[in-house]
Amino acid sequence: MSILLEVRNLHKTYRKQAGLFRQRSICALNDVSFSLAEGKTLAIVGETGSGKSTLAKLLVGIEKPDSGEILLAGTVAKISHYRQYNHMIRFIFQDAAKSLNPHQKVGQMLDDVLRFSTVLDSHQRRQKIRMTLKQLGLLDEHSEYYPHMFSGGQLQRVALARALILDPKLLILDEALTALDPSLRAQIVNLLLDLQQKSGLAYLLITNHLRLVKHIADDLLVLHQGMTLDYGTTAQVFSHPQHDYSRKLINSLTA
Amino acid sequence: MLLLDIKNLTIELKTPDALVRAVDRVNLSLREGEIRGLVGESGSGKSLIAKAIVGVLNKRWQVTADRFSWRGQDLLNLSYDEQRKIIGRDIAMIYQEPSRSLDPTAAILEQLEEAVPDHLLDGPWWKRSYLRRRKAIGLLHKVGIRDHQSVLQSVPYQLSEGICQKIMIAMAIAKNPKLLIADEPTTALESTTQAQLFRLLASFNQLKGMSVLLISHELESIARYTQSLSVLYCGQLVEAGETAAILKQPYHPYTHALIKSVPEFQPNLQPKTPLYALPGSIPVLQHLPIGCRLGPRCPNARKECVKTPSLERLQNHYFSCHFPLTGKND
Repeated sequence: MSILLEVRNLHKTYRKQAGLFRQRSICALNDVSFSLAEGKTLAIVGETGSGKSTLAKLLVGIEKPDSGEILLAGTVAKISHYRQYNHMIRFIFQDAAKSLNPHQKVGQMLDDVLRFSTVLDSHQRRQKIRMTLKQLGLLDEHSEYYPHMFSGGQLQRVALARALILDPKLLILDEALTALDPSLRAQIVNLLLDLQQKSGLAYLLITNHLRLVKHIADDLLVLHQGMTLDYGTTAQVFSHPQHDYSRKLINSLTA
Repeated sequence: MLLLDIKNLTIELKTPDALVRAVDRVNLSLREGEIRGLVGESGSGKSLIAKAIVGVLNKRWQVTADRFSWRGQDLLNLSYDEQRKIIGRDIAMIYQEPSRSLDPTAAILEQLEEAVPDHLLDGPWWKRSYLRRRKAIGLLHKVGIRDHQSVLQSVPYQLSEGICQKIMIAMAIAKNPKLLIADEPTTALESTTQAQLFRLLASFNQLKGMSVLLISHELESIARYTQSLSVLYCGQLVEAGETAAILKQPYHPYTHALIKSVPEFQPNLQPKTPLYALPGSIPVLQHLPIGCRLGPRCPNARKECVKTPSLERLQNHYFSCHFPLTGKND
């Protein structure tokens, strides 16, 4: 398997004005490195304020890193040129119901994505939308629906459709599975695993839900206050955590 | 003695067209000193039941029950004032999102002091405010917050979700309730804090004999801390009994699916293999199927399932299914 994404020594510090002349700086990420191969899943766990979401923002180019490199398929990429990279890396938000535009039909929304990022004509776009909906187990009619007409599980599928319509290589799921009901979550997990097997998609899973991580992730990275504490295959980290914090995290699951 | 005994609790929403039955004839009982789990997905009516017990549902909801007794006293037949008096004395509730349930404009000290009832302060009146403050600090220590000084002066937005939840618990136990209802106490929290909170609730249960009704949508997180379990689906009680017995041998297909969809309960499941999932999704309240509400999603539904199954009993294990799963065909 070829390495899809490699991150080297990423740093990010936020500065905040704390008075007229004083500045307070918050180190959100401190020397984070990892790599992710095609068709694999990397889970990032950590408490709030550990820098998980900052990392996701850096990877989709919403923020620029202070130093460090992000390599996509072996070449250094400036992710913040996201017109160039947004069809490689796609992002799914925590709450599908809140991240979809309530005024827009699903078909229209998917069409916009294609119009802005590809050179397909309107016929090809319609074809593509139909294929993507079918791939995710939705019907053609659903492109005429507004988001509020869907149930929770279907909405998550619509959000997935928006991400997958550009045939990305990497999908970042920011707590996208946590808020779902258990039976829906099992359905979505199955769908994700199936997609991964068929098209070699890589996932970056940002979550708090360790039980799920144990099942679907190949690699695991434990972040704590912007520092990497443990990084390795899931089984290895679960059986031999190096740091006290990761040990505590894993014990909270089994104790 | 049964602390809480509810039989055929029905909660209906009055709409212009018709009555929508959100909770359909649910039985629930709690012994003294018991921890019971109430599991169900969103829309299964678990929060409604909790709110019906504490009596905070508004006028649009109509609550009826064949029996609704609290320590032998029928609550639904009492006048409103008497109801409030009993519930206010004996039952406490923790709501879903702590940072939203606390008053955002008042300091924690004020809110905690307000929760301490007068009859628990024994001293002359001029010492009352001092005693009240001592009691508030004591409560914080009890829930495991050592640094009381800074917490008491803070306003909810300055504190983390975990600490807010602990403060909610402190407020709930201020009056030494007989029953504590915890409605999804850990959804907003991180896994290390989650374990801490469950241990806290378990210790109050053991030290004070306080009964706890734990409501959650995640079976795996509460299975470890509960003695008995009730499983709801779409407002119907599908299975109830002792937690260990249910986990070992569920009789209802829904409980079976819930247990099988959790990787933790399937030690033989290889990583990255598909999980067991029921097809379809939870029906919305306006379009509930008739009969057994699991019907359209159930793998072994048959013609008889259009009639609502009655609650059957096998030793201490209740289930409502026409075709219960037995050990053989599993």
